[in-house]
Amino acid sequence: MAYECDMHTFYKGAPDVVVLPETTAQVALLVRLCRREHVALVPRGSGTGLIGGAMAPHGGVMVSLTRMNRILELDFANRCATVQPGLINLWLSQATRDAGYYFAPDPSSQMVSSIGGNASTNAGGPHCLKYGITVNHVLGLEVVTGAGEILSVGGKAHDHPGYDLTGALVGGEGTLGLLTAITVRLLHVPAGVRTLLASFSAIDDASEAVSAIVAAGIIPAALEMIDETFVRAINEGVGAGYPKGAGAVLLIELDGPAAEIEAQAGRIVQICRDHAALEIRVAQDEAERALLWKGRKEAAGVVGRMSPAWILQDAVVPRSRLPEIMREVQAIGARHRLVIANVFHAGDGNLHPMILYNDLEPGELERAILANDELLRACLTMGGSVTGEHGVGLDKASSMPLQFGDADLNFMARFRRVFDPDGIMNPGKLLPSHPACGEGFRPSVPRLPAGAWV
Amino acid sequence: MAVSAPALGDAFAAIVGGEHLTTAPSQLAAAAVEGVPPRWLARPGSLDEVGRVMSLASVEGLAVAPRGSGSALDLGAPPARLDVILDLSRLTGVLEYVPADMVATVQAGVTLDLLARELCKHGQMLALDPYGGGSRSVGGVLATNASGQRRFRYGTGRDLLLGARFVQADGTVTWGGSKVVKSVTGYDIPKLLTGSLGTLGVIVEATLRLHPVQPASGSWLFSFTSREAAGSLAAAVLASSLEPERLAWLNAGALERVGSERAEAALAVSVATVAEAVTSQGALLGSMASRLGARVSALDEGFWTRVGGGLASSTVVKLASEIRRLPFWAGEVERVISRHGLTVSLVGEAGNGILRAAVEGSVSPDTWAREIVAPLREALAAEGGSLVVERAPLDLKRAADVWGPVPETALAVMRRLKTEFDPRGVLNPGRFVGGL
Ligand SMILES: Cc1cc2nc3c(=O)[nH]c(=O)nc-3n(C[C@H](O)[C@H](O)[C@H](O)COP(=O)(O)OP(=O)(O)OC[C@H]3O[C@@H](n4cnc5c(N)ncnc54)[C@H](O)[C@@H]3O)c2cc1C
Ligand SMILES: Cc1cc2nc3c(=O)[nH]c(=O)nc-3n(C[C@H](O)[C@H](O)[C@H](O)COP(=O)(O)OP(=O)(O)OC[C@H]3O[C@@H](n4cnc5c(N)ncnc54)[C@H](O)[C@@H]3O)c2cc1C
Repeated sequence: MAYECDMHTFYKGAPDVVVLPETTAQVALLVRLCRREHVALVPRGSGTGLIGGAMAPHGGVMVSLTRMNRILELDFANRCATVQPGLINLWLSQATRDAGYYFAPDPSSQMVSSIGGNASTNAGGPHCLKYGITVNHVLGLEVVTGAGEILSVGGKAHDHPGYDLTGALVGGEGTLGLLTAITVRLLHVPAGVRTLLASFSAIDDASEAVSAIVAAGIIPAALEMIDETFVRAINEGVGAGYPKGAGAVLLIELDGPAAEIEAQAGRIVQICRDHAALEIRVAQDEAERALLWKGRKEAAGVVGRMSPAWILQDAVVPRSRLPEIMREVQAIGARHRLVIANVFHAGDGNLHPMILYNDLEPGELERAILANDELLRACLTMGGSVTGEHGVGLDKASSMPLQFGDADLNFMARFRRVFDPDGIMNPGKLLPSHPACGEGFRPSVPRLPAGAWV
Repeated sequence: MAVSAPALGDAFAAIVGGEHLTTAPSQLAAAAVEGVPPRWLARPGSLDEVGRVMSLASVEGLAVAPRGSGSALDLGAPPARLDVILDLSRLTGVLEYVPADMVATVQAGVTLDLLARELCKHGQMLALDPYGGGSRSVGGVLATNASGQRRFRYGTGRDLLLGARFVQADGTVTWGGSKVVKSVTGYDIPKLLTGSLGTLGVIVEATLRLHPVQPASGSWLFSFTSREAAGSLAAAVLASSLEPERLAWLNAGALERVGSERAEAALAVSVATVAEAVTSQGALLGSMASRLGARVSALDEGFWTRVGGGLASSTVVKLASEIRRLPFWAGEVERVISRHGLTVSLVGEAGNGILRAAVEGSVSPDTWAREIVAPLREALAAEGGSLVVERAPLDLKRAADVWGPVPETALAVMRRLKTEFDPRGVLNPGRFVGGL
């Protein structure tokens, strides 16, 4: 059944019914009905989430927003657009490109994920190093809260008096309400783009180069790391032509006024040389640029060539700890006799280690789970965060106590209850134990037993 | 059971130390907020002390007003009640600053100036530049969501506050957000606190996102004989791939205050990037502007401080409209206000649709409420905008609600938030929207 999971296929749970509303009024009616009947409600965009978010562990009603996928207004003079939640991310940039604008949040899934899903998970992407994550681009929302209210917050004019409900609702992962319309900022297409690829013999050198670039006061539009394992797989899988034998590759993109990117590209080339870069390529035209990006963008697709199964981590470390955490990643892999492949947003310190395992080999899954857990804890020990862009969902709900104390989680649980007094919205997600009974958060078992994952 | 006032004073003194508790009537009168004096002024020296003061206040049902540098304590409606001023000026620690991470964690009482001095040693800055200068505290700037012209490029406190340690009304010490530049772990509580005017919690520590100071910058003033022409330049800049740092709108009154030559309207623009790009963007701006008939003059950095000074007035109104409507609203404000014999200097953020009007001259509370605030507010609201009275003499504040109405459904949610987190009305009661 198509609706039993998102892209985190570990977690399965089918809803009792799937509803595909077309209007906000229908959504509101649905929520009120579910509230009256005490039935769980799970919003779903494109289902590309990686956290077990858009699935129904408690059954109930799934609300798929794919039919609400229109652009309601393009307003270039105010540099914004209002869209329905089901609109595919990339369609917005395509619709605005001729006028010279685009929508900055660009998750690697932008060809398929919905803007409602992006706003609900507060999605990131390669370009959020310079431009910020989704919340920095959401100006206003129409939302049907778990209480059944139709709430309009924010909008084209900035600084609405009162609490910043827009900011606090973004990233709600469907636990506060359903987003039914979203007003987003549009940015003007930059004057120029410069894309560079630098290869290094060791991931350590590449990590040091990342720190040095940022320390030089340069904020590239994107600063992505691809490790040896991925370079090999990408070259074999999609023929991106990345330097053979490289221990790590940095993909660096600058955008802005021509004179600015020219000067900064020069600095970056020098910094990479200083950090023992083996080779530096600078894309000369759009075709070369597309080729450099091809490998990065299709990385998720080549994993299948490397391994029958994998676990993807999404934790964050302070940027300055990158070299250290990369050594730790290697050590954890070695300790558990597993290959851990890395392709990630280095400029933000947002890691995506992929722990490869063979699900037919007894014990490998258990080791992979252990390694994943150790990775997460290592990131937190360095002052990092449980998730950088994918969100919490079901997958990481039990990890929340690793980053937050009881008082912090309690505050969040009470915040949730303000929007969803009966606990019908996406129960079991985001917080470790669902406060459906009207009590605050109560600490639960810190982790699901390994066996319960499958 | 309620404790007597002297006993309470002893209890507060036991928490913060006698020398950090003010009880002398003359000093308390001087610390009054909108004419309402507190009964105590406590200056805690640590997070723990803030928690204990709040916990005691909450048990006793006292009203507490947090205070940073005290520059904007009059923002909002006059206090419904006031017992304790919780002065955070002793909390001036820069707790963690790793330049390579471009993140700093500071205590709420740290002033923008102090922080700027620390950061510029490493070529970095906190890109918040509220009018009125750097003597403001980080906590106060965040609690009031204050920002200045730089927000066009860097955003506001909402975008720059990554994590916050705060004390709830009942004294519970709480953390929200993270210490890294990218995190989506849990609800974004820092966004809820930003601009909440200390009604949901006392911000004690803030983890802030920093930016590199650009190697070069340039500023220019483009003056016009008509508002329309200035509006056309603003629109042209916004529709281009130019990446200005600041884009300020000034009317004749504001130009006079900052000491620039006379004009009907002007646009001040700054760019900050590498030297080569400052030159090329300046040239491009210049040619766009001269096509529209602008007079161009180069500006020094000091201009941007003077622009803020241009708003120093006992009455300041902030209008928020759609970006493209800013020139229209500038005209409307001038028309409505000058009709009553008042003068107005207007400073706008042409890239964000924010306009601030500093009003001079005397006006009756009735005229103020009925003929100035109400018509502007209604017309703005019809377009999704708002009007907030940021500063005004008390009689004007009493005549017209400083915040204006908030849509019913949104206000209901805000009320539930306030009731959930401050059921006894301890934190800044009565000062925020809808009487929160
Ligand atoms: C190949 C691949 C690459 C990816 N790359 C990135 C990346 O670079 N950055 C990144 O951040 N993520 C990435 N993702 C994860 C995923 O694409 C994002 O989380 C995306 O934002 C999810 O959008 P969606 O429409 O698929 O939402 P769904 O998966 O359908 O839902 C996600 C969550 O949001 C809730 N939700 C959805 N719509 C609404 C709504 N209208 N109202 C309220 N709640 C709603 C759901 O209940 C669920 O909790 C990637 C995924 C894949 C498969
Ligand atoms: C001349 C002048 C011009 C101004 N122009 C502008 C402008 O153009 N734009 C703009 O945005 N602002 C403007 N302001 C407002 C001002 O810049 C900010 O509001 C200021 O930064 C407040 O800082 P403070 O430390 O003085 O706070 P205070 O005045 O001490 O406090 C302000 C409010 O915040 C609360 N508060 C203070 N600290 C905390 C804390 N740690 N936790 C919770 N609540 C707290 C207080 O209770 C009070 O309600 C102006 C102010 C002046 C004096």
